[in-house]
Amino acid sequence: MADRSVSLPLAARALPAWRTPVAIGVVALVLIAVGSVTMPAFLINNLIRAFLYAVVAITVDLLWGYTGILTFGQSAFFGIGAYAAGLVFTHVGFSLPLAAGALAASVVAAWVVSRIIGWLAFYHGASPLYASVVTLVLPIVLVQGIYSGGEFTGSSSGLSGFDSFDVPLEAWFCITGGLLVVVAVLAWMFVRSDAGQLLVAIRENEVRCEYLGIDISRYKRKLSDVAAIVASLAGFLFACIQMVVAPEYAGFVFGTELVIWVALGGRGSLIGPIFGTILIDVGSAYLSGSLPYVWTLLVGVAFVVVIVAMPRGLGPIVAVGARRALPARARRKPAPMTFTVAPERERSDIGSLAPALSVHDVRKHFGTLKVLDGITFDARAGELLSLIGPNGAGKSTLMRCIADGSERSGGTVELGGTEIRKLAPYDCVALGVGRKFQTATVFDSLTVGEALRVARNRIEPPSRWRRETTLALPQPALDVLRLTGLDRMADRECRYLSHGQKQALELAMVLALEPRTILLDEPTAGLTKQERTQIGEIFVSLSSRYRLCLLLVEHDLEFVQQISSRIIVLHQGRIVMDGGVDEVVKSELVRAVYAGETHAAKDASGDDA
Amino acid sequence: MNAQPIVQATALKSGYGEAMVIKGIDLALARGEVVAVLGKNGMGKSTLLKTLMGFIKPAAGEIAYFGERATGLAPNRIARNDVAYIPQEKALFQDLTVQENLRLALARDRDFAPKFERIRDYFPFLAERMKQKAGTLSGGEQKMLLIARALIREPKLILIDEITEGMQPSVIERLAGILVRERDAAGTAMVVVEQHVQFAFSVASRYAVLELGEIPAQGPTSDPAAAATVSRYLSI
Amino acid sequence: MLNLLLDIVTTAAILFTVSAGLLIVFGVMKIINFSHGAFLTVGGYASVVVAQSGFNWWWSVPFSLVVGFLLGMAVERFIVRPLYGRPLDAILATWGLGIIVGQLITLAFGRGVQMVASPVNGAVPVFSEHYSAYRLLLVVAALIVALALGWLLNGTRLGLQTRAVIMNEGLARALGISSSRVRFLTFCTGAALAAAAGTLITPLSSVDPNMGVAWVVGAFMLVLVSGSSLVSLAVASVVLGGAQMLVSTFVDPVLGGLTIAVLAALLLRFRPEGFARG
Repeated sequence: MADRSVSLPLAARALPAWRTPVAIGVVALVLIAVGSVTMPAFLINNLIRAFLYAVVAITVDLLWGYTGILTFGQSAFFGIGAYAAGLVFTHVGFSLPLAAGALAASVVAAWVVSRIIGWLAFYHGASPLYASVVTLVLPIVLVQGIYSGGEFTGSSSGLSGFDSFDVPLEAWFCITGGLLVVVAVLAWMFVRSDAGQLLVAIRENEVRCEYLGIDISRYKRKLSDVAAIVASLAGFLFACIQMVVAPEYAGFVFGTELVIWVALGGRGSLIGPIFGTILIDVGSAYLSGSLPYVWTLLVGVAFVVVIVAMPRGLGPIVAVGARRALPARARRKPAPMTFTVAPERERSDIGSLAPALSVHDVRKHFGTLKVLDGITFDARAGELLSLIGPNGAGKSTLMRCIADGSERSGGTVELGGTEIRKLAPYDCVALGVGRKFQTATVFDSLTVGEALRVARNRIEPPSRWRRETTLALPQPALDVLRLTGLDRMADRECRYLSHGQKQALELAMVLALEPRTILLDEPTAGLTKQERTQIGEIFVSLSSRYRLCLLLVEHDLEFVQQISSRIIVLHQGRIVMDGGVDEVVKSELVRAVYAGETHAAKDASGDDA
Repeated sequence: MNAQPIVQATALKSGYGEAMVIKGIDLALARGEVVAVLGKNGMGKSTLLKTLMGFIKPAAGEIAYFGERATGLAPNRIARNDVAYIPQEKALFQDLTVQENLRLALARDRDFAPKFERIRDYFPFLAERMKQKAGTLSGGEQKMLLIARALIREPKLILIDEITEGMQPSVIERLAGILVRERDAAGTAMVVVEQHVQFAFSVASRYAVLELGEIPAQGPTSDPAAAATVSRYLSI
Repeated sequence: MLNLLLDIVTTAAILFTVSAGLLIVFGVMKIINFSHGAFLTVGGYASVVVAQSGFNWWWSVPFSLVVGFLLGMAVERFIVRPLYGRPLDAILATWGLGIIVGQLITLAFGRGVQMVASPVNGAVPVFSEHYSAYRLLLVVAALIVALALGWLLNGTRLGLQTRAVIMNEGLARALGISSSRVRFLTFCTGAALAAAAGTLITPLSSVDPNMGVAWVVGAFMLVLVSGSSLVSLAVASVVLGGAQMLVSTFVDPVLGGLTIAVLAALLLRFRPEGFARG
């Protein structure tokens, strides 16, 4: 791990990361305590409910605003918590141990249901549309279940009149307010932590995350579990306070309202949904008496308008206005991120004689269309192997088959001697392959440093509540950063990088995975001449100095000639030639292939038209 | 007399995101002119055609069709300007019949019979396969269908992206003949993107080499030095 | 036994009619129109309006088609089109729209449940049994919808263009087809169909501001399972509708209502293409 002598002063600098949220939290708690004795009872009553709703809204914001999972189903978990309390208190009775038992039951039930939903909706290749429909179905199924429960569940009238904690209203106000503050502070610390950046990364580019070795489905499921439990907690408290539970609290209308409040308040900001929920819910308590349906209508209209025209919600507008109105305050810049060298890791495969990459009789077809046929070759550490061929020859398909176990239709691929079988991309990364895409796919909303931290996720799991200011990267990645000047731009957001810089960043991210083999898909596309030369030097250094195995798909034959140690020519899904640079470049066959004279190529590969 | 060029691109810059693939191109075509755009892969040839067709908004520069500004117009608007486009990939509706593929190119269904008559002789095999799904035709026949679809509407300009790829030499020859006849008889202008130099030179009056998004060399194909110039840029 | 079979067939017919409009929108625009339920409700209330105005019930079908089409025009133009590149936001906005429509209808007609008299009463003899005449009529309606859509898609120029856009929007545009026009017309047709379906189902139960919701989840699932093929939708309607009927009859009617959603969710989990040809 990082040098002990360096870590001490850093620990001191890590404090400010959570000092602000905690400080604000303490202030909020104080305000709540004061409010509990000064505010009128009607307002306190409504705020209690609004606080609990805001807790659930936070979970919706984490899932949707930050991670991009549109969910209508958090109300179902709220309902589970509420009904756990209602059912136990009604049918068994009330006492402290029973309440604890009911709480445990609600947490377990919420967790189980979340696991089921997670299995249904979050898996490699799931469609987000399907996931959203599943979250819509959940509260509907739950409510139908409640309806059919007859006397036991109270059906459509719900359960009421059960005993609960004998606590004054002001105390409940402080408890629920306190819960909201605690959840908000924890959520705030999480999203600002290094692990929290992962949420944004997932929302922005799931595919890139998968190819960085991150099992996003598992991450989503864990997040969803936590969200479910928190929501059920809020529901449990709700039932304890109101002493009434009804199916409406578990239904999709409530689930939709939560999304509406988050959208209006400003998704992805935490504070927006909190205030949005409180303001709208309390507002509707005051206003819906005078204009019942009109109020809901207004909210609905505001919602649609915001989605269409102001996707970031009304919160940011308020924030901008507030910033202009309040006196200018010097924004304390976060401590700049620095990069250090990561220590060499123990490689279990060192000394293995197996080639870095071994492809044997790989085939790929779409229906009757054969895209790859009988691809066989080995690639060793230190080789810079270029894959060339006309368009449609199958080069990109081959790359995909190497990095994703489920792509190929037949044949075997071995990474460092281990077969990839049907492993998903994130597992293939664990076997030592990194893939760099043709169009530089980075994370626009993250900074250079944050993006690299996400890339290191698999090797160095990030802190869930801190924001480290140093990032240890392997030497090759540091070289790329230094050579392209990115090491001095650690705090610049990726969206402001030039195309060439994005390409370099993506390469550094892939190198951060410490792969043995790197697949590069047209790395020079769109680069200037100078950038091409630079990246060519980097590739040569990666293969010769760091003994990585590089597999390039390229069209720029001059570039290929300059840097490759070996060239494979692909044509119509088959390897037509595999040899040294001179041999291939001078070959008549390859000229013919490129001039479009396909007959010569077909004869050579033993194919008949 | 309309002396306006059929298509004119000025100082055109275009690409994907911030990656500029076309870095400054000037191009103009008059009636009956065919220009061959040659270059290795990745040099921007397809991007050029996609930009001319409106699929990519140019980052800088102007495009004009028949003297009228067309920069930023949607592809279907440009198509209705009598511009036919044959993309390199996924160019046919595999599950639609031959006839349906052809009909889609026309503005009115009732034009089909007379317009097909005009080009029938170029594609003798098509008439018998009208009701067949396009995906069931052989590779060469599919390419011929692409040409038929482009020609059936009597376009003033055709943009062709590497159509000879994977074609038999005999078919390539026939195709060259068809294009030359259209060029001479109907005055159709064409931008032919190719890597097959011989084919390109047999239909084009001018050539332009595209390298790294710019045109370092261009001229008439009748120039005896042209072939050598081009091979220099295209050679491995 | 025969009764059960007829129940299955008529249920499948109703499901098909309700979901057909949603399917064509999904096929062309690749989004699920979450306001579909609102259009169903609008159709239901259209028939209420027609009945209250003293006209014959049959007038409500063309009336709801027109109302649905017009409403669809506004929705496509102002809500769906601006969200072309943001599919999740599109479904969210259409869902919000559904709520708005529900509120507007409540404001106009009140929350109460309304009944609309069935245009055809009584039962008809079918072999040895007697069966509801109106339900059998709905089978005819489903057939008409299927044939009409089939003719529109396969026999008209617009239908050909629509199929082209479904298959490859970019290529269609390169051929001069205005894909935005196709999307617009598809959405309006889907909306009109939804309204007509809403009208057709009112004699079966009742009309209330939330009637659309009950149908909509089933419709969503049926469409996800069918992809963009009307034939797959018909198959799915029969299979899943049949399952629903069987569960309702032999197990529990409430669980029956959930059968489609649960079965479809499971099917999609294991076979994301659903019933569509792989």
